[in-house]
Amino acid sequence: METLNFLMQGFEVATRPENLMVALFGAFVGTIVGLLPGLGPINGVALLLPLAFALGLPPETALILLAAVYLGCEYGGRISAILLNVPGDAAAVMTTLDGYPLARQGKAGIALSLSAVSSFIGSMIATCGVVLFAPLLAKWAVAFGPAEYFVLMIFAIACLGGMVGDKPVKTLMAALIGLALATVGVDSTTGVYRFTFGSVSLSDGIQFIIVVIGFFSVSEVLLMLEKTHSGQKAVKTSGRLLFNFKEFCFTFWTMVRSAVAGFVIGVLPGAGATIASAMTYMSEKRMAGSSGKFGEGDLRGLAAPEAANNASACGSLIPMLTLGVPGSGTTAVMIGALTLYNITPGPLLFEQQPDVVWGLIASLFIGNVILLVMNIPLVGLFARMLSVPNWILVPAITAISMVGVYAVHSTTFDLVLMIGLGVFGYILRKLEFPLSALILGFVLGELMEDNLRRALSISAGDLNILWSSPISLCLWALTALMLGMPALRWWRARRTAQVANA
Amino acid sequence: MYVRLFAATWLLFCAGLAVLAWGFQAPFAYDPVGPRAYPLLLLTLMAAGSLWLLVKPGLREQKLDSSSALRSVLCMLTLLAYALLFESLGFIISTALGTFALGLLFTGRLLPCAISGVLMGVLLYGLFDYLLDVPLPLGLFEAFVES
Repeated sequence: METLNFLMQGFEVATRPENLMVALFGAFVGTIVGLLPGLGPINGVALLLPLAFALGLPPETALILLAAVYLGCEYGGRISAILLNVPGDAAAVMTTLDGYPLARQGKAGIALSLSAVSSFIGSMIATCGVVLFAPLLAKWAVAFGPAEYFVLMIFAIACLGGMVGDKPVKTLMAALIGLALATVGVDSTTGVYRFTFGSVSLSDGIQFIIVVIGFFSVSEVLLMLEKTHSGQKAVKTSGRLLFNFKEFCFTFWTMVRSAVAGFVIGVLPGAGATIASAMTYMSEKRMAGSSGKFGEGDLRGLAAPEAANNASACGSLIPMLTLGVPGSGTTAVMIGALTLYNITPGPLLFEQQPDVVWGLIASLFIGNVILLVMNIPLVGLFARMLSVPNWILVPAITAISMVGVYAVHSTTFDLVLMIGLGVFGYILRKLEFPLSALILGFVLGELMEDNLRRALSISAGDLNILWSSPISLCLWALTALMLGMPALRWWRARRTAQVANA
Repeated sequence: MYVRLFAATWLLFCAGLAVLAWGFQAPFAYDPVGPRAYPLLLLTLMAAGSLWLLVKPGLREQKLDSSSALRSVLCMLTLLAYALLFESLGFIISTALGTFALGLLFTGRLLPCAISGVLMGVLLYGLFDYLLDVPLPLGLFEAFVES
């Protein structure tokens, strides 16, 4: 009952005219920023933060604006993922796996509308989760120590190895390359410079934006070059622009399951939308078994990561609000925004600033409705983007990528680094290394090392801490299962071949 | 063949980085692990993976034909030139030139590519610099603005 009162109070804050306007504006800008390849929620939030401050918005209005941008990006990221095979942000990597094939089959309209509804359901379930569990989950997340986090990240990478079934070694190699890229820069614990080759620009590491834009946008430009040469063209959208009731029923439980899973993963500090979409995609693929067409345009493969990444975006607000620990890169920027307003996120925030917290939560509900209403009718407009010819589209992607990277540090070095990583990514893609594993590795890299070292600092160097708690033992067992999967498949395939020969 | 080539190169690269990583030492031990162990662990695992790929590179191989390889190299050079000239020429001019060249590479016709290049340079500058407040370099235009 107390929660309900607070929520009503929150709605009262969120429905003030200026806050509604801000949510509408944020949702619109967020969708556009998410739609532009290379510009993700971090860019959107980082770009609008100075604006919010310059306009002198009160803290709750500023937070509502940033949260609306964040949600809008999760809606918009899927559009470029489906239409261009370029994820707007790392979380949309999984959306490309089935979304792009669907677009190639001429079902872009269906994919877009269905993913909008998946996003909506994901966000709604997760926002209800925030309302119900925010006070309780603060206690639960504390049970995860650094050792458990380290094992959880190993499990996430092992999942990828087990998922991209036919080439586990290449997948794990790609993840390792990502992890290694994340070690570039000054070591946060000791201040030692690692792999910087004396360059000042590398001393604070390779920026996430540069890696994402380089590996996805630039290498995509190079890959598209080959396709124009061989005369292949993107399939035009035709037929229905809206999914039908049967397709909705087919994917409904996938959405609900993925939303719940995405929410839980989003709540864990440090484990954000990327892991959520990867893990739900993988588990849906497993559950569908051989009946699914995952990777070739399965609607469930589209609904699962979309519901999960929106759910985890909402879920990641819980650790941010209750613990002061960011659940994702974007919430890290939002914590920066709160400290600008002299508000320290933490367990006391719910008591001291109920207007801010509950206004934000209520605005999530409102923002979601705005986004769904905005996205469904505009689906036709988005789907029409495929008819833009390559000689306009590709230069535009390139120019926007340049701007996105230049906005981070304003140096030529970053631009050249982006092109270099893009060429490297192109080579890796030609050799069939999955780049989504690389990005996951890069995202996890620093967290993984930090948690490993923190765990070993706690135990004074004793490795036993990594498998001492029931949670970590359980995660190790699951990791072993995942790593054993390809070997088991290979062994069974060989045995059936032998039987057939005999 | 290409996978083997890549694996061999990567193995050498890992070895080189490992030599570099061996020198990472903190002047004072802040934690029991130190800055060296984790990169070395990753390099060891990557080297193991490269060895595996050297022995078993997989079955499928894509063929490269020389004309598409040439176009790829041209595209890479265009991108590199665009990146290098981005600051000195300024966003508007470098983008107009870069998008014009890329448009031609993607089988666009001469005049439409030129028009779209100039339009993109000007419009994107307006969008980002004025509307979204992303500072972009003016380059050659800087003299005009100053005076």
